[in-house]
Amino acid sequence: MDQKHIRNFCIIAHIDHGKSTLADRMMELTDTVSKRDMEAQLLDSMDIERERGITIKASAVRMFYTAADGEQYMFNLIDTPGHVDFTYEVSRALKACEGAVLVVDATQGIEAQTLANVYLAIDNDLEVLPVINKIDLPSAEPERVMHEIEDVIGLPAEDAPRVSAKTGMNVEEVLAKIVDQVPPPSGDPDGPTKALIFDCLYDNYKGALSYVRVFDGAIRPGMRIRSMATGHEFDVTEVGVFTPQWKTVEELTAGEVGYVAASIKSVEETKVGDTLTDVEHPASEPLPGYMKVNPMVFCGIYPADGSHYGDLMEALEKLKLNDASLSFEKETSAALGYGFRCGFLGLLHMEIITERLEREFDLDLVTTSPSVVYRVKMMSGETIVIDNPASLPDPSEIDYMEEPMVKASIMTPPDFVGPIMELCQNNRGVFEHMDYIEKDRVKILYTLPLNEIIYDFFDSLKSRSKGYASFDYELKDYQKSDLVRLDFLLNGDMCDALSTIVHKDRAYPKGRAVCEKLKDVIPRQQFEIPVQAAIGGKIIARETVKAVRKDVLAKCYGGDISRKKKLLEKQKEGKKRMRQVGTVSVPSDAFMSVLRING
Amino acid sequence: MTGVYVHIPYCVKKCAYCDFCSVPRDASIDQYPDALCREIELSRDRLPYEGPVPSVFFGGGTPTVLPAEALIRVLDTVRRTYDLLPNAEITTECNPGTASYADFVKLRAAGFNRLSLGLQSADDRLLKALGRIHTYEQFLTAYGAARDAGFQNINVDLMHGLPGQTQADYLDTLQKVCDLGPEHISAYALILEGGTPLYTRVREGEVALPDEDAVADMEDAGMAYLKERGYARYEVSNFAKPGRECRHNLIYWNDEPYLGFGVAAHSSARGKGDWLRWSNTESIATYLKKLQRGKLPTAETLHIDKKEEMFEVIMLGLRKVKGIPRQAFLDRFGLSMEKAFPEAWLTVQANGWWADDHARYALTPQGMDHLNTALCYFR
Repeated sequence: MDQKHIRNFCIIAHIDHGKSTLADRMMELTDTVSKRDMEAQLLDSMDIERERGITIKASAVRMFYTAADGEQYMFNLIDTPGHVDFTYEVSRALKACEGAVLVVDATQGIEAQTLANVYLAIDNDLEVLPVINKIDLPSAEPERVMHEIEDVIGLPAEDAPRVSAKTGMNVEEVLAKIVDQVPPPSGDPDGPTKALIFDCLYDNYKGALSYVRVFDGAIRPGMRIRSMATGHEFDVTEVGVFTPQWKTVEELTAGEVGYVAASIKSVEETKVGDTLTDVEHPASEPLPGYMKVNPMVFCGIYPADGSHYGDLMEALEKLKLNDASLSFEKETSAALGYGFRCGFLGLLHMEIITERLEREFDLDLVTTSPSVVYRVKMMSGETIVIDNPASLPDPSEIDYMEEPMVKASIMTPPDFVGPIMELCQNNRGVFEHMDYIEKDRVKILYTLPLNEIIYDFFDSLKSRSKGYASFDYELKDYQKSDLVRLDFLLNGDMCDALSTIVHKDRAYPKGRAVCEKLKDVIPRQQFEIPVQAAIGGKIIARETVKAVRKDVLAKCYGGDISRKKKLLEKQKEGKKRMRQVGTVSVPSDAFMSVLRING
Repeated sequence: MTGVYVHIPYCVKKCAYCDFCSVPRDASIDQYPDALCREIELSRDRLPYEGPVPSVFFGGGTPTVLPAEALIRVLDTVRRTYDLLPNAEITTECNPGTASYADFVKLRAAGFNRLSLGLQSADDRLLKALGRIHTYEQFLTAYGAARDAGFQNINVDLMHGLPGQTQADYLDTLQKVCDLGPEHISAYALILEGGTPLYTRVREGEVALPDEDAVADMEDAGMAYLKERGYARYEVSNFAKPGRECRHNLIYWNDEPYLGFGVAAHSSARGKGDWLRWSNTESIATYLKKLQRGKLPTAETLHIDKKEEMFEVIMLGLRKVKGIPRQAFLDRFGLSMEKAFPEAWLTVQANGWWADDHARYALTPQGMDHLNTALCYFR
């Protein structure tokens, strides 16, 4: 299609503000999918996305819209992830668009994360079209929200369509605005091919697929293409679009969005942000902005049953196909055996990956305490970087340590400022600034150590603000800090999977809290088990798991012999799922439950 | 030798902790005794049977919700169909709220010679919490009536670990019962079964059960007290005056054959090759219908292979203080336990749980406290 009739855009919205519903209505209005076939919120295809109401993976849908002037337009709607951990993915998806529809909930107003993405869109020269949603709700305040958009973002919002994505009211108006206001693409259709990979997907039948936005030239089957970041070359086997079902097309030309299937063997060969070009007529420069993303949070992931190590590796490799930001390497633990050290963009990313491993690959996992990346200045003058408490050198060899700090920005109604500041203070936060954005919206800025927010900071924030506060952070710098490694011993044997690096002032409360928790989650065994927290060789907290007194079925008669056998079977199975730490059997979920402590 | 069990599924009211097969009395109760007699008669040529019968046990539910005449008719059918030993133990369970002196006289005259009375606790507050239909006073009346009617072999069922129960409460019950002097006492720790009203109440936090340690303390104190009063422990939860061990229950724990009649009843006997374990339908309607058509109400039959049979012998036999005679194990399986389960045997040995008696495989009291752990070694 000629580029004048193409519109590439994304939708920016906070969780629950109606992004997916609006996308659904657009697909209905353009007859892309019939109402009858509409599975609610089509774009969010993964179960987890649907359950959590968030979009994890970007995807793109092509629709055709006949405007008032009678001309037909090709719309490519590019879906973007909505969470802080996926900023890089969002930025690549934005790069593929010329416009962004900003959806704001008329009952809620603008949220912190939305703001961050709007600025990202503006930085990428996107035309931003505000839309006020949920005007059908009795508590809607479209006027107030309109002013908020103008005051906070500085976008004119007087003419912003006021819609109800749920009922479909005024959604047509949004489509018309997209034609009028989003600029068409302006690449060179005859120039050397340049296509931006903005997402990857692994399909069981087609293999590794790249979602691309073609800027110049075209991509068609039979072509030999090269990844400009890695230098790898592939033969294109198929190109197509999502409607939102797979649909193969003859070619993807300048300005179009779609997927490319090629003889791509390894995930490392194409990455989000990479540029594909034609081997015969290569572009001289790649598209700007490719970046290798660095994981911020690390943890060990182990199979609950050691014999599933191979399955776990296979599952991680498959996930990696879809998620270039996941990193992993082999690791061994005395307590947990063979597993992987995995790196994530953030906490949510970590939770999503472990959940997908368990759900989509049917694995039982043990996850070790998450860690950030520390810099260790050695007495020798050397600097080492560690992401695993187990690799911390002997304290006598360490001059000092540095930990990553983040700039956290929290948006909240004023009522919760007190409890939120207390929370930040408790997590070693340093207050920076507070801004009344409007009378019922406050922005609080804190500098916080990343290692304080990787446990349950977000959950605490939500509970202290009755769910109203939102939270966003970016890495600021590394600061010198008084850090120690906190170890845990079970019946005298150290359990490496529980070791964690904490600030010295936090070691005592944390040690006590974890010992108390361990006392509850470790089942009684035939002998008494001391549970100890230690720094270096020094014990700082102790609890005791008492020995089991009676482990016997009170009653066993003719009628229930089979049942009693099943009970024993279960007991035996339960024992199998336990990990042996020295002499002590520890249930796999014990490792998980102690992570949820912020002592 | 083959034991006979007869299941009467009806109760006046189901207790809060009970997950056995028991239902309210309904119209089917009138047809049930005839169906039982029919099943017993039909079974004679169709089920594996090695006579004679040393024990008949009527359990439930509550057998005594049926008129004494009905129970007697069923017992007579067993007697007519199978060859009972002259001195066979013939027991019926009885809820103290359901039987009168007149009933006891009739039962005794018909040949019932053992009574198992469900008391559970001498504390009316606890009885109420358990949803029992009787008071301690009513139990005393029933107990006296049974003695007067000539029952010289009586068991009293008790429980500990009850909601709000203290060790003092439990010892008080034991003392009251020992003072009465029954021949046999069963003393069970309450098992909280999923799906029961008590389970829901505990989960909802309406009632609290004593913790693990408190229950273990009660149990230990109770065992010491019973010993002092002349009741010897012979199984995990069972105590008897000398020579008064329950013969019927020993059939189960010795993994000897028994035939179960009635809805949801289980049976166990050697078939043509394998050991078999089968169960009757749990639906009263199906039970009655099948027997009307002259069919046995068997729902499911399990074939137990040698290895499994060995495990069952161990699982049941180690419940007894005297354990399993070495020779009996050798005779039944042609090899010793050490040979059949070398690792498990050695682990129990290493834990110091084998009693010092080379003629038997028996556990020390400490080993019996950890019976489940020990049995897991054998799986």
